[in-house]
Amino acid sequence: MDETTHLRLLGFIVERLEVGILAVDRQCRIVLWNRFMETHSGRLLDAVQGQNLFDCFPELPASWLKRKIDSVFVLGNYAFTSWEQRPFLFRFKHNRPITGGVDEMRQNCTFLPLRDASGEVKMVVLTLADYTDTALIQRRLQAAILESETERRKQRALLRRLQGAKAQLFQSEKLASIGQLAAGVAHEINNPVGFVTANLGSMERYLGDLTQLIGAYDAAATALPAAQAAAVQQIRQKLDYEFIREDLTALIKESREGLDHIRRIILDLKDFTRVDQDGWQAADLEKSCDSTLNVVWNELKYKAQIVKEYTHPPHPECIPGQINQVLMNLLVNAGHAIGDQGTITLRTGAQAGEPREVWVEVQDSGHGIAAGDLKRIFDPFFTTKAVGQGTGLGLSVSYSIMRRHGGRIEVRSEPGQGACFRLVLPVQRTEISDQSPPDGPDLAGEVSAEELLALEETDGR
Amino acid sequence: MNASANVLSGDQTDALQEIANIGMGQAGDSIARIWQQFVELSVPRIAIVEADRIPALIHHFVGDGLVSAVRQAFHGGFRGEVLVVLNTGNRHELGALMGYDGPLEPHEEEEMLLDVANVLAGACIGGIARQLGADMGFSAPSLIGTDLDAHSVVRPDELSVATALCVEVCFNVKIHQLSAHLIALLPREEVAALGELLDRFLCTL
Repeated sequence: MDETTHLRLLGFIVERLEVGILAVDRQCRIVLWNRFMETHSGRLLDAVQGQNLFDCFPELPASWLKRKIDSVFVLGNYAFTSWEQRPFLFRFKHNRPITGGVDEMRQNCTFLPLRDASGEVKMVVLTLADYTDTALIQRRLQAAILESETERRKQRALLRRLQGAKAQLFQSEKLASIGQLAAGVAHEINNPVGFVTANLGSMERYLGDLTQLIGAYDAAATALPAAQAAAVQQIRQKLDYEFIREDLTALIKESREGLDHIRRIILDLKDFTRVDQDGWQAADLEKSCDSTLNVVWNELKYKAQIVKEYTHPPHPECIPGQINQVLMNLLVNAGHAIGDQGTITLRTGAQAGEPREVWVEVQDSGHGIAAGDLKRIFDPFFTTKAVGQGTGLGLSVSYSIMRRHGGRIEVRSEPGQGACFRLVLPVQRTEISDQSPPDGPDLAGEVSAEELLALEETDGR
Repeated sequence: MNASANVLSGDQTDALQEIANIGMGQAGDSIARIWQQFVELSVPRIAIVEADRIPALIHHFVGDGLVSAVRQAFHGGFRGEVLVVLNTGNRHELGALMGYDGPLEPHEEEEMLLDVANVLAGACIGGIARQLGADMGFSAPSLIGTDLDAHSVVRPDELSVATALCVEVCFNVKIHQLSAHLIALLPREEVAALGELLDRFLCTL
């Protein structure tokens, strides 16, 4: 190829390449302006040649671009702009008049120093490549990534809730079985206790009869010959009959009290588990407190002084067995919190306003809850107790139960100052939606069937 | 730092050190002219490094604290990549220096980092190449990241070379609290091409 052909070929390429090419001299006057630039700017070479670049295009960022071009002249190095940081240098229409999707043509620009024979930079050539399609694809990709990340976050949250729900379900079922077992045992004990009580009544009556009989014999004893009288007297003294007579009465009285105690415990157990009446009903919260307290008494009797501040609020509609479960959790936690010695205060009350609400408070004088833990205590599996002591489910189950009741559980505590949990229940039963509370923890019973289904599908199991 | 002896000869290494000194000096001078600021330069350090040592080396150069990093490729007489690791104290003043008006938007800040890195890389590699009579081209710089720990600028498992020739120099623009480490890395197989250029340079002396 001779030199002329070569130059013509190069000229053609510069002119027709789908890349904007322009060149400016040291005074930023336009020296070269190819067809791409003509087409997209709407200015022909004749109109811009010899003109100052910034006079022709006042919309260009002059101070920044001048410095950039200047540095290419001074340093003789390359310079670049990328559409990611600077979407475009020249405000050109994009080449998607039909399909659209973007406002201006995205451009990657390169600044090339053009040296003369002496090595001095005489011109700066600016090339301008159309990156609109890349930018569009990138935008779509980023949207897709964002969407899939959101989806993944949602799945993780769901999975967490599912795990919480499973654990709570297991815990609730365990408690329900224990309750049923206890109620069964109570029922079984009830029968023998019944006939022992009846028998004891008969025994007491018979004892009266026997005492009466012996009294009669005593009165008749004077008629006995001296030798027999002395023998009877001797046996009487040996057996300490007077003591036996008095002690028998006391023994029977104590046994009757013992039986009464057993019956009370059975009643409380039945009351607590409510297996016989498993439904919504108006319940006396104070009675619930008392029967629950009796059930857990063994845990508390040596270390807790119980203070009751009852104000006899209205009876809310609830499932008493579940509320008792919550109260038991709170009482057991209070017992753990106070350590060796302390006070547990049970309070009841009613709140003014609509809807009418009643509340129960369980306050302890224990070690309190650290501020950082307060936000997490209702989360499933959160526990500060030693391994094996707590499941971390008590309060999260309690939270769920209160939510299903349309009520709530509030806590206030300062470390070292003890903690106070307040259960608030509406007096009238309210319908509860299945949606998560906006700020509540991820909880059992709040994963809808569709969510679980979706989760299992995405889980591939 | 004389491990390069097993790849470049002693004469070649000395020549490279000398060329780097002069080239960086010229680069500093040019940069000072366009920024109209006094630019402080360290003596260039040259070493052969194993790829898995590069993160530790970068940390050794720039120390603790968060940095921004830019990479840029150069090609021509020899091929390689430049890492520019920047500690930008006062980004807004630096922005004014680069011709930006007003406070910088995040994408402008990125563009500025790319620009600073490009200027430094162009000046330094250009300074060395000119003395060697090599005509260099550059790819567009790309951002590795901002607010990085020095150790995480490069991940050795992602590097495609086992060993590289490393030339490091540090620029300081005191009044803008800008400090930038320029680390030029040549893959081992490119060192021969550089060696040839150095030999040719030595012949002209």
